[in-house]
Amino acid sequence: MTAKLRTSWQGLRYRGGGTMIAWLLHRLGGLAMVVFVGMHVFASFLTQQFGSDVGTAMNIVYQSPYFQAPLYFLIIFHALNGLRIILLDTFPKLLEYQREVTWLQWIVFLPLYGLVVFFIIARIVSGE
Amino acid sequence: MEVKVKILRFNPETDKRPHYQTFRVEAEPTDRVLDLLEKIKGYQDGSLAFRRSCAHGICGSDAMRINGMNRLACKTLVKDLGKATITVEPLLGLPLIKDLIVDMEPFFEHYESVMPYLVNDEPPPLKERLQSPEERERFDDTTKCILCAACTTSCPSFWANGRYVGPAAIVNAHRFIFDSRDRAAAERLRILSDQFGVYRCHTIFNCTLACPRDIQITKAIGEVKKAIATGSLD
Ligand code: SF4
Ligand code: FES
Repeated sequence: MTAKLRTSWQGLRYRGGGTMIAWLLHRLGGLAMVVFVGMHVFASFLTQQFGSDVGTAMNIVYQSPYFQAPLYFLIIFHALNGLRIILLDTFPKLLEYQREVTWLQWIVFLPLYGLVVFFIIARIVSGE
Repeated sequence: MEVKVKILRFNPETDKRPHYQTFRVEAEPTDRVLDLLEKIKGYQDGSLAFRRSCAHGICGSDAMRINGMNRLACKTLVKDLGKATITVEPLLGLPLIKDLIVDMEPFFEHYESVMPYLVNDEPPPLKERLQSPEERERFDDTTKCILCAACTTSCPSFWANGRYVGPAAIVNAHRFIFDSRDRAAAERLRILSDQFGVYRCHTIFNCTLACPRDIQITKAIGEVKKAIATGSLD
């Protein structure tokens, strides 16, 4: 068990490059979605069944820009990364160009996420 | 020039857990990391344990983590590392025996599990089993493997579960699956479609980056995945 823990810890420090980071973000994105959807369902349940304040408090948390900005980051990244992997799995020939494909993914990702951040900030500024 | 070599050491007889020890070594920029290890073992600390045989990148015995990435010590030049301190650690995911030596047995068990040999029971022709240059080209890349384990031990899926056959075994299965003279492709594809087979690969690419023979490992795995999914070798 300790050996396994040591491996995981040292594994995180392994210099795998951009594609390893993409995989880590993909996993984090999956977790983030489980947490978000879980919270959402749970909060609705609490507010609707008991009119509970806890549910309302949870709604406030996940509607806050500090929660949404990283959440959108992970979800959009997860979606695009998934598309990249489907593409590569369907056409194994492309795997030789994985570096380029990963760059392409970031090129698509950045403006998309930029737009989301823009809307989040616009909402804060307009005081909604 | 003087370089610092920081080595993750472990002596099973006296140590509870691995610890780092730093050595100062006089080195040429064109020295290889293996040369530094030899100097340390020869002149500073004879108890340092590591594997090596050919010293020319062909036997595959000295794969280790150098500055956080799997490489062959005999193919890594000091000048290419570009750092004052060189960190050397054993491969991850295989049981540690001593210092830089890990137990390769689980690795070779996975290798054997994919039948890495030519299977063909048809009576041989008078001269030889002919193959066109194009047919040979189909699996050329995966013939280059030297079984150093740099790929398998760079793979997070393998760290997470040692029962995953790992990239090296798939590379060597690929070498025969796509060989026009071989007759056991279906059997190998069946073995690799197991839950610890190719689908443990999450296209992380650490293996491809680590391979000292520049084999397009993830591509080979992708081709095997596709062959399993479509049932065709084309
Ligand atoms: S595929 Fe490359 S990294 Fe993996 S065992 Fe063979 S030579 Fe080593
Ligand atoms: S010593 Fe043989 S490959 Fe490095």
